[in-house]
Amino acid sequence: MFSWSLAVRNLKRRRLRTALTASGIVVGISMMFILLSLVSGMETQARSMVRALGGADITVSNSTSFRDRMGGGGFFGALPSPSTLDASIAETISGIPGVYAVSPQFSFSGSINSRRVTVYGIEPPLFEVVTGGLNIVEGRFLSENSYGEIVMGKALMEILNLTLGQTVSLSASQEEEERIFAVVGVFETGMIFQEYVGYISLADAQNITGEYGLVTQILVKCEDPSMVSDVASLISSTVPGVRVTTPTAAIQQASQMLNTLTMFFATIGLVALFAGSFGVTNTMIMSVTERTREIGVLKAIGAKNHDIMKIFLVESLLIGLIGGGVGVAVGSILAYAFPMLTSGLFAAGASPFGMRNPFSSAVNPELGGRATSPIMFATPAITPLNITICFSLGALVGILAGLYPAWRASRMKPVEALRHV
Amino acid sequence: MSKLIVRTIDLSKVYRRGKVNVPALNNVNLQVSSGEIVGIMGPSGSGKTTLLNIIGGLDKPTQGKIFVDGVDITSLNEKDLADYRLKKVGFIFQFYNLIPILTALENVEIPLALMGAPKDERRERALSLLRVVGLENRADHKPDELSGGEQQRVAIARALANNPSIVLADEPTGDLDSKSAMAFMKIVRDLNRRNNQTFIIVTHDPLVVEQCTKIYTIRDGRVESA
Repeated sequence: MFSWSLAVRNLKRRRLRTALTASGIVVGISMMFILLSLVSGMETQARSMVRALGGADITVSNSTSFRDRMGGGGFFGALPSPSTLDASIAETISGIPGVYAVSPQFSFSGSINSRRVTVYGIEPPLFEVVTGGLNIVEGRFLSENSYGEIVMGKALMEILNLTLGQTVSLSASQEEEERIFAVVGVFETGMIFQEYVGYISLADAQNITGEYGLVTQILVKCEDPSMVSDVASLISSTVPGVRVTTPTAAIQQASQMLNTLTMFFATIGLVALFAGSFGVTNTMIMSVTERTREIGVLKAIGAKNHDIMKIFLVESLLIGLIGGGVGVAVGSILAYAFPMLTSGLFAAGASPFGMRNPFSSAVNPELGGRATSPIMFATPAITPLNITICFSLGALVGILAGLYPAWRASRMKPVEALRHV
Repeated sequence: MSKLIVRTIDLSKVYRRGKVNVPALNNVNLQVSSGEIVGIMGPSGSGKTTLLNIIGGLDKPTQGKIFVDGVDITSLNEKDLADYRLKKVGFIFQFYNLIPILTALENVEIPLALMGAPKDERRERALSLLRVVGLENRADHKPDELSGGEQQRVAIARALANNPSIVLADEPTGDLDSKSAMAFMKIVRDLNRRNNQTFIIVTHDPLVVEQCTKIYTIRDGRVESA
């Protein structure tokens, strides 16, 4: 019908009013869009972290976090080296009821071919039992009595321009002596930031750092998943001076904060949308009043109530669609800008809304995960679904806000409307 | 004798203005035969427009009945009344009342669109109607780019779009110069002769009156045959 061209032309005729009205929707929709993008981004990350944290049910580390505050820096930078524990603690823990296996590891911020990365020293068979092992795509995993061997992430291989079988020089820090390692295997995780990591044997790691008889984390696998929290509290009561963390708990904490964030943004977005919808209603009432005579004419020549209703609903729907479209565009720009704006804050250890950033703790080596940069928190994902949702939300607000004015227009008595000047 | 197309029986209309009742029509009995050009005259406030609105299904009488083509339109509900206006009657107003943001062609298309006619068919019919009123070369002009006479001719074309059996006009030449008024009446007469269309025209204009086949005068809500 002609409702669409009528609506388009009426909106064009009053460009400024249309733009101002639609901008009320834009604010709300862009809020909602940023929110949804952030949530999507976090969900993706949370999922990959659950995967990365793999089989280790419990992680035991020193209750003081880091030995130094060096490290860090750079997008995929290595984390500072964690505090150590005596390796004998692993024996103690393996004697605790409910513990199936323990895997001691020594992680440090080292340098491979002069690039700073996180290096894990592990006991290969125990590591495989406790975590389920790495996803090796080329070569093999470390052998049982590995010496001078290294397994590296695919992304790290690419950035260092290495191929399987080549050697790399590895040192604990720039000042220290370098040692030569042969690349025997390459693993893939699907998440690039988890691949800027190298695995060597525990003995090699202790050798390089000179920290003999020490470990940084002890990964624990329980006999049964349901026993995790009981075993965790047993460990913390039996072994003094350690921090016991359960990755699942961290993920839970993270998703709880995700929910808080979602609620926070959703409330702001909805309030903004609500306010914007009043603008649409107001504009549409004005439009109906201005065109009272036109409504009378249309009715006189045979337009039914639903025809009139449609004309005005299409108009408010269009305002909603414009608001939705521009809102998605503005939201996308802001969502891209968001990590840039906040990365500085996260790097400095702060986090938005005064909450602790759960993801940085969820993946740091204390928990036995592969290192990642805390900056990775809140990388928004702009998905077609989010675009569709926001666009439809704009349309929905447009229609709902236009219902009352359109209904009023449709109910006008033709004779009275025609008399209107 | 041609058949009766409009017959009103004891038609009365009373407006309530606050607590006062203002009678507009008082027991009007009017008969219009198919193919007539009926002029309705009378001083302002005599109830001419009210009568026209009631015949056109825009307003309801307080009392009485109106039969159009044998159907009592006072018994129709709102939706059927809209349908009646769409299919049976064409309306022409004193101030043309075209939709300002639509072109001449699109204005003529409105009733066809309301009927649900497909776009091509709509366009074709609207163009041929503009040709009838001599405005096919102004089809893409908006109302504010047309003279009063041209706008009124677009309004005729719009009124005729669904080929109604009755065309109602409320002071159609009231705002036109005499040349445009004569052009308007020529079209009315041609249509009347060619399509046997019935016209009921409320007017003061002697130019219109002399072309009518029958004249009624309304005074104080009562019809007097001339």
